[in-house]
Amino acid sequence: MMRSAAYRIATIYSAAFVIATLVLGVAVYYAAHVALQTQLDDRIAAEMSSLVSEYRSEGLTSLKLVISRRELARATNDLGYALYDPAGHRVAGTLSARRPALGWSTIGFVDREDASDVARSFAVRLDGGERLAVAADWDELEAADRLILTILGVAFLVELIIGGIGAVLLGAYLRHRLSGISGAAEGIIAGDLGTRARVGPRGDEFDRLSAALNAMLDRIGELLDTLRQVSSDVAHDLRTPLSRLRNGLEEGLRTDPGPAVIERAIEQSDQVLSLFSAILRLSEIEAGGLRQAFAPVDLAALVRDLAESYAPAMEAAGRTLAAHVETVPPVIGDRELLAQAVINLLDNALAHTPVGTTVRLGLAVGGGGTVLTVADDGPGIPEADRDRVVQRFARLEASRTRPGYGLGLSLVAAVARIHATSLVLGDARPGLVATLTFGAARR
Amino acid sequence: MNILVAEDDPETAAFLCRGLGDAGHQVHHVETGAEALAALQSGSFDIAVLDRMLPGLDGLSVIRGARRGGIVTPALMLTALGRIEDRVDGLEAGADDYLVKPFAMSELVARLNAISRRRQTGDVVTTLTAGSIVLDLLHRETRIAGRLVPLQPREFRLLEELVRNAGRVVTRTMLLESVWNFHFEPQTNLVETHMSHLRAKLAAGGAPAVIETVRGAGYRMVADA
Repeated sequence: MMRSAAYRIATIYSAAFVIATLVLGVAVYYAAHVALQTQLDDRIAAEMSSLVSEYRSEGLTSLKLVISRRELARATNDLGYALYDPAGHRVAGTLSARRPALGWSTIGFVDREDASDVARSFAVRLDGGERLAVAADWDELEAADRLILTILGVAFLVELIIGGIGAVLLGAYLRHRLSGISGAAEGIIAGDLGTRARVGPRGDEFDRLSAALNAMLDRIGELLDTLRQVSSDVAHDLRTPLSRLRNGLEEGLRTDPGPAVIERAIEQSDQVLSLFSAILRLSEIEAGGLRQAFAPVDLAALVRDLAESYAPAMEAAGRTLAAHVETVPPVIGDRELLAQAVINLLDNALAHTPVGTTVRLGLAVGGGGTVLTVADDGPGIPEADRDRVVQRFARLEASRTRPGYGLGLSLVAAVARIHATSLVLGDARPGLVATLTFGAARR
Repeated sequence: MNILVAEDDPETAAFLCRGLGDAGHQVHHVETGAEALAALQSGSFDIAVLDRMLPGLDGLSVIRGARRGGIVTPALMLTALGRIEDRVDGLEAGADDYLVKPFAMSELVARLNAISRRRQTGDVVTTLTAGSIVLDLLHRETRIAGRLVPLQPREFRLLEELVRNAGRVVTRTMLLESVWNFHFEPQTNLVETHMSHLRAKLAAGGAPAVIETVRGAGYRMVADA
């Protein structure tokens, strides 16, 4: 049971309470004891001083009289008296004890039920050599002490019981709540990746933990799916150029391989290699390690520069590039990655639009930060497909015959992610608009 | 040129020795980092091709050690690691250029030519000349036979790179790196389009056919244009 943290915590908690009660009890006991004893001593001392003054003013006979009168009033007075002559014989009072020593002392005496008992005694020497003792029974004090000890003992026991039951209940509750999480983990270990932790309606710490865990599992699930999809897509995309390469080489073997055959073979292997470079680059960006080298980038200058570089290429391909670039505050990032993101968006706009299209490249300060847009008035992407095209190897035509590996937009999305923004595809009515919004410069 | 090749993989080493030998260079091949460092320190090489992953002392340590010892022999680092960080590490260690495996021999030869040339022209030049073409680097102006030819800034940079390496091949990737500072391949024919605009402008200015296309390799400024 001590291997359960829940039980251990509950037990330690109960033990702390028990110890606190014990400390409190001892303190109460001690304080009450001292208070009662002081009270008793005060009564004895007051009685003594009244008797001594009686003796001084009225004499020994009167004192004896007063003593016997006090003893007759036992019902209201529980003090015991004894007066001894100088020879040590008791001459008055009924306190049946040996002659007490002078000053304060604790004496044994025989009470009215003939049982031996303990009393607190105060004795003084009178002027005539007599010794006067006034004593009070301890009983009252002892009874009070006993009562306190009894209450303490009962409280201690009750606390032990409540603590014990509490520990068991709390332990069981914690185990129950945690079992939802460990159950999910065990399910996943056993191979059922769809298992999720129970999330209760209360929204407490356990529910929040379960929810966070589920979110993590969902993310891992997505990553696994991506991995699976990527492996099969890589295999698929590699098979085509490799089989062309193989066929070309086979043909070259049969006939006399001229430089054209070899050149084509080199071109096809370059295609395969460029796919791998693209995958590796995407992985590098997604790993996020490049963030350490981030520095302020003058995005306006970069975009202007790219627009200038791209305009001739766009024109040569029968499209128009129109740039509208405002001066914007610097963006913290990687110049080359940002350049590649913009280039990929431009490449995309060029590859997937008909001749005559106008591509608009814009940079402006807008709602929420610096807004970079690449828009075209081509056919656009249906809303249902917009999320999909950002995924790796996604291509809209199922036959996958157009050039490219469907990595361009994934790379833009990855660049956006490490710059703490995201790639948003929208409708330019007509056409497609890709937007990246960079927040205010911050690390 | 007398080239030191430090490469432990026998197949790559054979490819390097054959390719560089065919290009008319003397090649000395070593297999370990320690040998490479010793060979560099002997000072008898014009240029070094270092693999990054060498047994014992790795390529980065070799180049660092050589530079610390005052050896200024131009060096090109070869690597299987294509990550951006790796490239930065290589250049910071003192390499003059960085090439990711697998690479085309034409690319390697072009880059070796470029870095050995860069080292030779130590003085700050303000004017470049190739035949009748004169580039004023301070005013970013181009003249052909004394007449001003208006060029876009990128076209000027492109021409500058070609003229600096006149008579030698400059590859597409080298131009992307030096003119655009891109270490990746855009799908769009950025270099080709600018090159055709540049050629058209040079032809109109009186210098036709001064830039040759070298199939499968890159571009070359005709040496005596």
